[in-house]
Amino acid sequence: MTRDREKVEAVMRQLSPEAVQLLKRVLEIEKESLHVRARAPEITDAILREVKGLIP
Amino acid sequence: MKLKEIRLTNFRQFAGEQRLQLATGDGRNVTLVFGANGSGKTTLLNAFLWALYGRLSDDLENQHRLITDTVWRATPSGQPVTASVEVIFEHDEIAYSVRRQVSTTKSSDEQNLPQPTLRVLHTTPNGATEEITAGQQKIESILPERLSRFFFFNGERIEHLVSQGAYAEVNQAIKTLLGLEPVERALDKEHLPKVASRLTAELRKFGGERAGQIAEELEQANSNHAQLRETLGKLTDEASEVRQERARIAELLRRHHIAGPLQEQRTRVEEELAERRDAEQTLKTRRRKLVAERGFIAFTAEAATKTAELAESLRQRGDLPAPLKRDFVESLLDQARCICGTDLVPGSQPHQHVTEWRAKAGLAEVESAWQHLSGSLGYLDDERDQLRQQLQDTAAEIIEARRRIDHLAEEKSRLDGEIDKLPAEDVNRLESRRQELDTHLSKIDQELGRTHSDIEAEEARIEQLSTKLRTAEIKDELAAKARKRVDVVQEVQRALQRILDIRTETVRDELDQRIKDVFRKITVKPFVPQLTTDFELGLFQTIDGESHPAAKSTGENQILSLSFVAAVSDLAREMRTQQTGDILHEEGGTFPIVMDAAFGSLDRNYQREVARALPTMAPQMLVLVSKSQGTGVVMDELERYTGHVEVLAVHSTNTEQDHEDIDLRGRSYPYIRTRSEQDWAELVEVI
Repeated sequence: MTRDREKVEAVMRQLSPEAVQLLKRVLEIEKESLHVRARAPEITDAILREVKGLIP
Repeated sequence: MKLKEIRLTNFRQFAGEQRLQLATGDGRNVTLVFGANGSGKTTLLNAFLWALYGRLSDDLENQHRLITDTVWRATPSGQPVTASVEVIFEHDEIAYSVRRQVSTTKSSDEQNLPQPTLRVLHTTPNGATEEITAGQQKIESILPERLSRFFFFNGERIEHLVSQGAYAEVNQAIKTLLGLEPVERALDKEHLPKVASRLTAELRKFGGERAGQIAEELEQANSNHAQLRETLGKLTDEASEVRQERARIAELLRRHHIAGPLQEQRTRVEEELAERRDAEQTLKTRRRKLVAERGFIAFTAEAATKTAELAESLRQRGDLPAPLKRDFVESLLDQARCICGTDLVPGSQPHQHVTEWRAKAGLAEVESAWQHLSGSLGYLDDERDQLRQQLQDTAAEIIEARRRIDHLAEEKSRLDGEIDKLPAEDVNRLESRRQELDTHLSKIDQELGRTHSDIEAEEARIEQLSTKLRTAEIKDELAAKARKRVDVVQEVQRALQRILDIRTETVRDELDQRIKDVFRKITVKPFVPQLTTDFELGLFQTIDGESHPAAKSTGENQILSLSFVAAVSDLAREMRTQQTGDILHEEGGTFPIVMDAAFGSLDRNYQREVARALPTMAPQMLVLVSKSQGTGVVMDELERYTGHVEVLAVHSTNTEQDHEDIDLRGRSYPYIRTRSEQDWAELVEVI
């Protein structure tokens, strides 16, 4: 699994700092929504808010 | 997850309250339950599934009759009656109790039961017990239902894991294990792509017309790409289903008393044909790569001659090596004195004269490059010869592969014709369906090829448009901000897609290696399992240095599936121990295995080897076996790892048969009790 980790880290290194932050937040939102079975429009709104917060 | 106890109350055969405690010790992690056919082993396995997920396996009959029949019959009309299953387990050092219950008031002889209720409790760090409101979600977060197929299963039916129709489902389950569901969801067209679409609309609104247009094209390209990937998934599933039906027909023909021998020949020919076609493709790819990477060398013969001639003429003219070095002239100018002693004052005639010489003098780097070039020219001849030889060899191999493919195709066509003409109506029917499937499969394969190349083209377009979007001119500040937002969302989309691909590929490699390790420990046969990129699990054997698909028996399919389960369990455990709290590398876990009919289709040798492997397959095992399967070699091997043994005694109203006992650990226990007043099952602990 170490190889896998290195490859993923390489992908992450190529991203801009905003993209890294957004990617992590998107995954957190998706993970939370998976457990509470949130609907797609709510998730879209939540991600949109994140983007606007990151690039105000 | 460590199972501690299961309590069954009036659940199917289990009348009254019955409890089974499970072995949790490190060295003795196996719980063995012996039961005759029909005693309730499958029900016990299903009790776990019902309590945790509210479902029962498809092979369980009369699923609506959850309450023990005798209990239901004995309950007077208008009286309440309840059935329940409670599973007590530990996870991450927290104790949980999951209890699913169905309660009703009897109104007829039929069991028309309401929806069961679920109650999940856990102990808090201060020792108090609390109810979890979202109980099902909690269970899902501990052991997702998608994964339960790997940890709660019937050994005799486990073969479905290696059936061709199951691969897509297995692929999905593996993604759950890896915690990749959030990544997949984020890429769903209603999530990140939708966000990108809304931001693009803002970009246009704020006046970034040109950038907005590009962003729209990019959005369209992303949407096409997602759609193509979806199509690819559907086509792969469809191909799997067709192949599965085709394999079933081939098996029916193989078992047919007239068509059998011809079908066996045809299967061999088809397998070799598929393999040779793959080999031909590999050779063609190798040739393409050679031409793409080194093909230019073939055209260097003339260039080499011309370069050598040019170098020679420079040498003859005395320009190479240069009579005067530029470094030397520059040092004279720096020192402001010529070798003849004249002062080189800037602006003076001697200074100007020497400066003119600097332009004529040779550069050391150029000379060195010429020398290097002349030296390399000699190698080019060798390289050209080598390339020619490699291309000739590959071409010869392609011709040979093609010759063999043509021969096999002819042979297959002859066998097709012979089977088609057989005077048996059932064979003709099967054969006709097989031909339909072949035609269908060939169309799917073509579409798969097209979809793959369309995906590549769309990816190139996305790359191109992304660059254009970043460089498009924007004057308005709001539009610039909107572009930045679109850009960052699309950057995240691309990264998530790459992460999904990387992690899927790595886990496939990891699983493949583990399956090979487990399989090697169980079987002595020279077969090697292999997990393909589509998560198809095949078995191969090497004959004369070449790998061929192996003819698998039911037992070998079972061992292959068991190896797969062990590999998944092992990988989940490793992932759990390597957790770093990083959101991209979460999930995994330690899960028990609950296994019914573990030794069903295995002969004595395989029974021994599987029994030997079982305790290492998971941190905890519950094995449900019959007396004939579980005693003897199995008990010999498992005894030292077994922490708890129980007998599932069946009480039957049957008056035709006699009682039967089972001898375990030096004592006799009831196994079948006939002439009972009612039909039910009883768990009896073996001391």
